[in-house]
Amino acid sequence: MKKKNNNKFMLPPNRQPFRKLTRRDFVQASAILAGAGVLSTFNGLPVFAKANMDELMPMFAKANIDWKQASGTEIVVGGLQHPWFEKHSPFLDSFTELTGITVKHEIQSDTEYVTEIPVKLGGGSTTPDVYMVWALGQSVAAGWLEPLDGYYNDPNLTDLSWYDLGDVFNSAKAFPVWAADNVTYGMSVTAEAETLFTNKTMFDKAGLAIPKTMNELYDAAVALNTGDQAGIVLRGKAAGDAVTWPGGGFIFSYGGAIVDANGEIAFDSQEAMEAIDMYGKICRDGGPIGIGSYHWFECLTEFMEGRSAMGLDSSNFATDFANPEKSKVADTTVYGAMPSAPGQTSAKPNMWHWMIGMNANSAQKKAAWLFMQWVTSPPTSLMTSSLGLATTRKSAWSSGDFTDAFGSQAAEASLSNLSNADGDLFKYAWFHPEAGAILDQVAIALNSSINGENVEKVVKKAADKARKAIS
Amino acid sequence: MKFVNKKNIFIILMLLPSTFLLLGLTIFPFVVGLILGFTDFSLIRPQNGMRGVGFENYIEIFTTEEFWISFKTTLIFTFFAVTIQLILGTLMAVLLHHNSKTAPIMRALYLLPLAVTPVAATFSFRMMFNPSLGVFNFFLESSGFAPLAWLSKPDLALISLIIVDIWQWTPFIMLIVAGGLASLPNEPFESAKVDGAGDIQIFFHHTLPLLKPYLALAVIFRIIDAFKTFDIIYVLTGGGPGISTRTLNLMAYRYGMEYLELGYAASFAIIMLLIIILFSQIFLRKTNIYSTKVARL
Repeated sequence: MKKKNNNKFMLPPNRQPFRKLTRRDFVQASAILAGAGVLSTFNGLPVFAKANMDELMPMFAKANIDWKQASGTEIVVGGLQHPWFEKHSPFLDSFTELTGITVKHEIQSDTEYVTEIPVKLGGGSTTPDVYMVWALGQSVAAGWLEPLDGYYNDPNLTDLSWYDLGDVFNSAKAFPVWAADNVTYGMSVTAEAETLFTNKTMFDKAGLAIPKTMNELYDAAVALNTGDQAGIVLRGKAAGDAVTWPGGGFIFSYGGAIVDANGEIAFDSQEAMEAIDMYGKICRDGGPIGIGSYHWFECLTEFMEGRSAMGLDSSNFATDFANPEKSKVADTTVYGAMPSAPGQTSAKPNMWHWMIGMNANSAQKKAAWLFMQWVTSPPTSLMTSSLGLATTRKSAWSSGDFTDAFGSQAAEASLSNLSNADGDLFKYAWFHPEAGAILDQVAIALNSSINGENVEKVVKKAADKARKAIS
Repeated sequence: MKFVNKKNIFIILMLLPSTFLLLGLTIFPFVVGLILGFTDFSLIRPQNGMRGVGFENYIEIFTTEEFWISFKTTLIFTFFAVTIQLILGTLMAVLLHHNSKTAPIMRALYLLPLAVTPVAATFSFRMMFNPSLGVFNFFLESSGFAPLAWLSKPDLALISLIIVDIWQWTPFIMLIVAGGLASLPNEPFESAKVDGAGDIQIFFHHTLPLLKPYLALAVIFRIIDAFKTFDIIYVLTGGGPGISTRTLNLMAYRYGMEYLELGYAASFAIIMLLIIILFSQIFLRKTNIYSTKVARL
């Protein structure tokens, strides 16, 4: 039985930063980025990127490590199609210039990636050297990930004072730490939290206030659900990677859990059942017809098309909503805190940090680590965040370029939801070694609730199946 | 050594590449799958290795409700999809079996669904089935009907999947039947006409019986393929609502690729294989396809 380790969010003393980047560094970087904002883009990639990264190069020189120690090597970075790749790709030439390391991207669709990587790593492949990690529990249990604490603590490989871990969100630092052995197995590269987005025009027209509680959310969704527009869009598809994420936020907010601290199935508690019931009711009565088949894509599209008054999903949607070329609601979207459940002062939204990890069988571990350090460093985070990437660094989130690209109100709401989120509750479920089997059953329970089935019956049945699967 | 002569060496050399490919890509994975099916091998617990569990996986599969629900779903999907495809494909082939100027163009157009990548086509259908923004509900509402929740009501979701499969694979039946029609002898049809038979009589009493081996071939291909349909279901419903569209293949995928329980998933796949072999052997014997002689040149 796994015991909860209360110290797992603590960093070892030797990882505490003893010197931060100077104010001058960031002023310099901000000035460069402000100038960059007026320049145009070419072919989806910013033409200013390389030039400005070159100007930021002196910041890398301040790191007390030899960036050239793995010069001449090539590493493969694997992942799925994701803004993280899109936003850091323009700066890779600068990385090669700095380190002499060539980076080859292997980018696949979601389905291809999550199908191929377990087989590839399970077969002992040495590549990708660095890969996007989505199921930490599976990867750690299977021994696919290299423990990173040694790399952090090696002064030849990492200048901790320059890297400035104090600038990284606590949740992002805690995310890749495996509770059972308190070892860090990855690095968080993005931050997102379940966030309420509302169409202000529709709310004003109906004379309604932005909902603060779950009951108000239900009432508003029902009131705004007319023939022409949906009251709310939420994921409903019965798949472990679909309805479970926003549904998980409901369960946590009602005081429940999917898996408890001891690794036991917990989504058939009274609190969790109330949450699953409410999720189904809101979708059924306030959502569009056919919401039971919605994935994040449908939620994003419908809200962006002005076909829904509300949505409750990833804060990262803000980048798309704010883009007038894509979105019809760029000027009228208001972001807010996830509504709280009855008897609770605030909600516990679901959250997520995409992580990168090092392949335990990689033949280029030194080069892989240098890349991981570079891509999550303060200067690179500043650059990628200026393109709208929600990184894990406070300095990047507070930079003017990021708030311009992401939207200041969206950034504020996202940060608030992120700080209310309980990373432990997420990790117990999503990083469980048998997460696939557990979340599949949670998805079936939530989807059945949307379809109006007897919640107690379907939840109990799903929980029993999940228990059997992990026994 | 009579066997080692130039001719035999040539034959062996010619056969070697395909033999290696067959061994490497078909026989070897099959044997591995067969062995895996008798173990509890899991990618989550690779340190445990491949521990033999005998028929435990198979017993567990046959005693779970999920297996029988997904088996029933697979049968319903296969039966309706293939039956409708057979009727439509045959009709289309017969209608286009003449020498008008438009027939070749129409045949080419009808074959287009076969040329489209299944996943790309399925994503297009996902948008078309979208209840709010999709074209299907747009036409329904424009005609005064209520919009439908195509993919989120259990019965309708299965029908929607069957519709997509029909769209994609009817041309395949048409292609085989059209080939069959082109090779049929003229004499029976001419004599039937001389005897005063009408087109419908000729179709049911001559065309269809003569096409029987071609139809059987098309049906066996399609049944095997429909039985293991995956992409359409995975993209459109993911097996939902609830578990109402979970087929055997989708279950095998989930156990293998999502739960990473490769031993259990391999047992699922072997069961599917046995069902297909059993069915196809019965079908081939009943239709007598091996002994049917057609179209003398």
